[in-house]
Amino acid sequence: MLKYVCKRILAAILTLLVLVTIVFFLVRLMPGDPFTSAKLTKEVAANMNKYYGFDKPLIQQYFTYMGNLLHGNFGFSMKYTNRTVNTIIGETFPFSADLGIRALVLAISMGIVLGLIAARNRGNKIDFFCVIIAIIGTSIPDFIMGALLQYFFGIKWGLFPVAKYQGLEYTVLPALALATYTLTSVSRIMRSSTLEVTSQDYIKTARSKGLSEGRIAIKHQIRNAIMPVMTVLGPTVASVLTGTFVIESIFVIPGMGKYYVESVTNNDYSMVLGMTVFYGIFLVTCNLIVDILYGIADPRVRIGKK
Amino acid sequence: MKKRLLAAVLAGTMVIGMVTGCSTPGSKDSEESSEKVFRYSSTTEPTTLDSSKCNSIPDNEIQHAITESLVRNTGGDVQPGLAENWEISPDGLTYTFHLRDGIKWSDGEPITANDFVYSWQRLLDPETASVYAFIGEHIKNGALVETGELPKEELGVSAPDDQTFVVELENPTAYFLSMIGAQAQFAPLRQDIVEKYGAEFAADAEKNVYSGPYVLTDSSNRTYIFEPNENYWNRDAIKLDRVELSTVENTDTALSMYEDGDLDYVEIPSAYVSQYEGQDQTFMNGNVDYLYINCAADYVSNQNFRLALNYGINRNDYMKLAVDDVYVPYASLVFSGLKTPNATYGEDYDVSVYPLDGDMDKAKEYLNKAMEEMGIASPSDITIEFTTTDAEANKVIAEVVQDQWTKNLGINVEIRQVTYSEIYGNVYPEGDFQVGYAGWGADYDDAYSYLEIWKSDNTMYKLNYKNDEFDSLLVASKTETDEQARMDMLNKAEMILLEEGAFVPLQTRSVHYLLNDKVKDLTFFHCSINRDWVYADIETE
Repeated sequence: MLKYVCKRILAAILTLLVLVTIVFFLVRLMPGDPFTSAKLTKEVAANMNKYYGFDKPLIQQYFTYMGNLLHGNFGFSMKYTNRTVNTIIGETFPFSADLGIRALVLAISMGIVLGLIAARNRGNKIDFFCVIIAIIGTSIPDFIMGALLQYFFGIKWGLFPVAKYQGLEYTVLPALALATYTLTSVSRIMRSSTLEVTSQDYIKTARSKGLSEGRIAIKHQIRNAIMPVMTVLGPTVASVLTGTFVIESIFVIPGMGKYYVESVTNNDYSMVLGMTVFYGIFLVTCNLIVDILYGIADPRVRIGKK
Repeated sequence: MKKRLLAAVLAGTMVIGMVTGCSTPGSKDSEESSEKVFRYSSTTEPTTLDSSKCNSIPDNEIQHAITESLVRNTGGDVQPGLAENWEISPDGLTYTFHLRDGIKWSDGEPITANDFVYSWQRLLDPETASVYAFIGEHIKNGALVETGELPKEELGVSAPDDQTFVVELENPTAYFLSMIGAQAQFAPLRQDIVEKYGAEFAADAEKNVYSGPYVLTDSSNRTYIFEPNENYWNRDAIKLDRVELSTVENTDTALSMYEDGDLDYVEIPSAYVSQYEGQDQTFMNGNVDYLYINCAADYVSNQNFRLALNYGINRNDYMKLAVDDVYVPYASLVFSGLKTPNATYGEDYDVSVYPLDGDMDKAKEYLNKAMEEMGIASPSDITIEFTTTDAEANKVIAEVVQDQWTKNLGINVEIRQVTYSEIYGNVYPEGDFQVGYAGWGADYDDAYSYLEIWKSDNTMYKLNYKNDEFDSLLVASKTETDEQARMDMLNKAEMILLEEGAFVPLQTRSVHYLLNDKVKDLTFFHCSINRDWVYADIETE
């Protein structure tokens, strides 16, 4: 097991290194530069380039950046001068993560339950109802969902605040809007994998042993059916926790999503890199955890890797 | 079985707890309602809280409240600020300011003339790398300090004593006071504070001290909280107890927040303007939108062809189709609301060359002349490229102009969309275009700010326009001390641009907004800052 974990961690570090290198050179290929504005004079542009070290050879800039990165320093934003990328991530990530955790807990728990209910009632009205919900949930884009929730629950019925993120009641609508997609996709995966498991021999054996339906569901069906759900959870957790541009924008949540999208359009090199590396570390870690959990849940994975 | 039940209950509680409980970051207690609080929103997050590095209207608006320069410009009205009075030398080149007695920073330290010397030198110091350093080129040796050819100590500013600040200018600059009263870069700075925080100076509210009517008490979570500065010399004139500025990028959400009573002021997105007819108010933000023409490019290098393009647009129709009629159609360059010695530019000068409805006969006439000169038989042989950014709204604008030119002139127009960085990073600076959509807002209340782009030695944009009379008028205007004569020169220069069809004007921007009835004395301005709430008040029952 330890060997397996070590191997995975090593692979993760290598992935990150490649990621940073590729992104570092790719951002430089984008048209324009970080200081572009309608009122930029040539003299000012020269001073800006010097200030940020862009007058040095690219390869030297790369090693400087990597050196800083090893110290956990992402550098100063080029758009939000005087503020470091670390500060910006430090201020905005808690909001994105807070919202993400709420949405995820809601999505995973409800998704699994909904999928299970649907599978166990295969073909009847309950199943049909669950499938309809799942289809609606996956096909309504989050910005429509957010706007609808905001309009009905916020403005029309006045049940929850329209926007901002200043307390419990503020979190309900955005969490719900953010959860919808994951919830419905988890329930669909759960439904199909449960159905697959149900026809397996060991379920028949369990049933012929005379076990109660509840025990069969918990002990045999869920444990085996949950594996495909875990697989999608790694990337989902990473992307939901690091902020979503649309939901954060609709509900005025000071999260990370905005900076991620904006940094690219602004050619804010250090911000693009910082955000990518941060997201990369997060994604790789989530996948690593899923891999390890996988190994725990299913011994075949560990053995197979040897 | 009991154990399992207990586990299930515990798990359930945890899930519910995660979803509903836990305090959220940024939680706030509800405030008392007797305070005079003004809450508004901005779609753009300010890029910096460092006054030297401000480079946008949202940046300037914040600084206007938390800093004060020698004078204060409120909607064009310039009043003494930290300087009680000043003398201007007869040649208009030297200003001697006398600071008020007992003026203090928000931390209680005295404000001295050296704080101005330090700040103005810092603005032009290449090491500061301020995007707006060019605004300091008005000061003697400004341009040379900016490029590092002279040390910053050579800049034309000095402090003979703690209460006297002397500025020498490159040229007599009539708008100098108006400019320093509105552009944040001219605010004083405390050297010890700037040096204490280094590159992170003003990164947040705590990392600065304030000279203006308000102090910034919080700048976290894209929300900015302002409270009166108790050390401000004119504290009694400040009526508000608190101001909350929230960054709300989504304009629909901002409108919902206003409807829900969470904001006192909101700007209406153009798509919604008609819905709020009768409730909305407007101000002009001084932005003029037009098409740049590369006068060295195919076809558009021909003056008659450029005039055909100008007469061949019905600007009233354009306005309805392209921007839902929310702006004002415009057929000239200099914003009409600019200040002239006794009135406004629009009142003083008639600049109508192209009728707003266009003139299709004239357009055809110019087109025929142009085709004859260029040796082209049919308008359909002419194809011009219209460059704009990839913003959706700009695409609509390009399509409406394309449609008009195709119908009215019979020429072909191709639309090319590039990113914002490309258009200002490459396309305009390198002259890689024929016709391109853009706009301009003035940095100071003067016609020169709009006209200088077409000066042939302008290095910012490569428009390839050259008219010796235009150039010499602009140069002469710099040294002219008679205000009216100077304005006449600038007007003459604008007329040259219009008569030669150097660009294609389209519109000037009016901003539609909703304002809570209780808010009084909110001021608007058409350059540097748009919304000025420094002297605003809230009516209480």
